[in-house]
Amino acid sequence: MHIPDGYLSLEVWTTTTVAGAAAAACALRRTRVELAQPQVPAAALAGAFIFAAQMLNFPIAGATSGHFLGSALAAILFGPWASAAIMTAVLIVQAVLFHDGGITALGANMLCTAVIGSFAGWGVYKAGLRLLKGRLHAAASFAAAWASIVAAAGGVALLLALSGAAPLGAVLDAMLGWHALIGIGEGLITMAAVAWLTERRPALAREGAAA
Amino acid sequence: MSGRRGGPGGAGEAGGRAYRLTGSRRKWAALAVLTLAAAGLLSPWASGHPDGLERVAEDLGFIEREASVHSLSPMPDYEVAGIPWEAVRVGLAGLIGAVVLGALLWAALRALAHRSR
Repeated sequence: MHIPDGYLSLEVWTTTTVAGAAAAACALRRTRVELAQPQVPAAALAGAFIFAAQMLNFPIAGATSGHFLGSALAAILFGPWASAAIMTAVLIVQAVLFHDGGITALGANMLCTAVIGSFAGWGVYKAGLRLLKGRLHAAASFAAAWASIVAAAGGVALLLALSGAAPLGAVLDAMLGWHALIGIGEGLITMAAVAWLTERRPALAREGAAA
Repeated sequence: MSGRRGGPGGAGEAGGRAYRLTGSRRKWAALAVLTLAAAGLLSPWASGHPDGLERVAEDLGFIEREASVHSLSPMPDYEVAGIPWEAVRVGLAGLIGAVVLGALLWAALRALAHRSR
């Protein structure tokens, strides 16, 4: 789901470039709070994993493929702003080194996948854990991942409609439809990765943290 | 990979303080191996079908709007030029990308992250 150069109108790409730059500045500031030094190697590795997993397009229906996004995974592991920073780095490397995603569309791609995707994933995960009282961790991760990629697709659809590429109803239907399917893959990968990379805190530490 | 995990925004907090990042080096090492295998070995066999956005762009007829504004990328389309085998072109591009990202993030995040209490 990388918007290439040319899809967006001048008004949309200039606006999203400015907004994307502001969001990136904010993400850098907030990452200072969210991320602790001992987590840095894990966060760097997670970013590399997300890049690699994004290369693995899996076939879905109708001669179409989907690929992992990773915003929800990064947000669950490291927090939403740190995730936005990690996803921004992924997008920059993809656009600059591999010509995947436009340079003029970098701000738009950032807003959709790094910002909307991270916060949708993080919000659904938090809400899920609260609702399920910490049980069914896997279900919360799956729902978060599904919601994050569908929300990001919704953002892309909106920007395409604003750019006059297609009518809003049609592009929203199509983007949400395909990404609701791709979201199943997103959910399964995220669920497995979160289960592998997190562990339940011992009860004593939980009480200590709550006090 | 040692010491306390789970800063204010990390898995510990994000999990309602019930979950934290694993401290198991074995698990992180497995992720590193999986990352290199995915980038270097599996990527050449990824589906070549258009992805969700490309499919929508084709169906709704706006795919021809794509207009490249630069040709500066050293590895366009995730391929290293000048190698006769496609699997090697793609796998090598994947490995380079994964390593560059890991190094870039490590340097940037080390400068940003707060000292643990």
